[in-house]
Amino acid sequence: MNAMNFPTEARLRRIIAFVAALGIGVATYITIADSGGGAPTCLAGGGGCETVANSSYSHIAGVNVAVFGILGYVLLLASAFLANDLARFGGFAVALGGFGFSVYLTYLEIFKIEAICQWCVASAVLMTILFLLNATRLIGYAGTTTVAVPEKG
Amino acid sequence: MSNKREREKRREQRLQEETKVDAGDRRMRLLQFGAGAVFLAIVAVVVLIVVNGGSDSGGDAQNLKEVSAVDSLVSSAPQNRLILGKPEAKVELIEFGDLQCPVCKGYSEEVLPQVIENKVDTGEAKISFKNFTIIGEQSTPAGAAAIAAGEQGRGWNYLELFYRNQGEENSGYADDEFLTAVAKSSGVKDIAKWNQERTSKKLVGEVEGTTEQAQTYGFSGTPSFAIKGPNTNGVELLGSNLQTPEEFEQAIDSAG
Repeated sequence: MNAMNFPTEARLRRIIAFVAALGIGVATYITIADSGGGAPTCLAGGGGCETVANSSYSHIAGVNVAVFGILGYVLLLASAFLANDLARFGGFAVALGGFGFSVYLTYLEIFKIEAICQWCVASAVLMTILFLLNATRLIGYAGTTTVAVPEKG
Repeated sequence: MSNKREREKRREQRLQEETKVDAGDRRMRLLQFGAGAVFLAIVAVVVLIVVNGGSDSGGDAQNLKEVSAVDSLVSSAPQNRLILGKPEAKVELIEFGDLQCPVCKGYSEEVLPQVIENKVDTGEAKISFKNFTIIGEQSTPAGAAAIAAGEQGRGWNYLELFYRNQGEENSGYADDEFLTAVAKSSGVKDIAKWNQERTSKKLVGEVEGTTEQAQTYGFSGTPSFAIKGPNTNGVELLGSNLQTPEEFEQAIDSAG
């Protein structure tokens, strides 16, 4: 399994935890900035963030989409702390959902809202990385156990 | 004795192999589930895009967009019928527009937001919208519908939301269903009253009156602008000469 420098599961879990923590930061910033009618500040200017935050697509049933992002990143962070198949598959499923949702939101930004918010792009990039990491983890380590069975001697 | 030990050894080997097979099965199942999940995710994203997508030609009463953007654009200034801004503002910018006109839509989206933010929200100017119906039959009922929304303090919400959801020029989209959907999403509370007023002789007559007024001014296209302030000689006609927010801001500064 570790041939061709395939990353160890412990390493993958550490990177997943780190990227998920970054994601929580980004999604939390968007949520806080948007609350009270405001909008995230685009570092490069241009007002894209305001346009995106004010569009009708920024909320689902009155809830800012970034809140769903926080939830997803928290679940992904939690999955990185466990080394069993539930965490591997759960992490993969959440990351897949997050990645699919990010693809859809990016489509909305480009073709519907016609404005780009760099914070949303940052989140989409992080979610893509998490999807790749979790897919690698599932493919590489599904069905394995890290609990060492003591040998009879 | 040695037989027993061998049996135990074989049993242990068998158990280990079974565990390996179990783990292998579990792995296969998880990977199959994973592949299934990927397939479902692709289908879900494609369905979402198809449902929300298609050609976005506007004029869709079922799917009005930019409601919150319009709300935040006009919520900082008071409204009186189709006038946006403080009543005591020194300068009045008058827009003669047609709700079905795509150029007016362009102004509403690209030019006026900055003017509203920099000149109307600050109390320096107010913008008055007057119907100048030149596009087609549905322009007059649409204009009257906007005034009727204005009677309930939502006139500019109506105008801006209409423009942001404007359909293909004269394609027949601006029917009762569309006008009503825009009214509801603009925050018009009493739809029955709005319905009664928008078809009243008074409001339809008002639309025809402002159209005549625009023709009297010599305007031939929409949008055309006029301005009134302490430094103007009555109503000064700007026509369609101004193109950018900065030019409008300059005109307001000169008039005030």
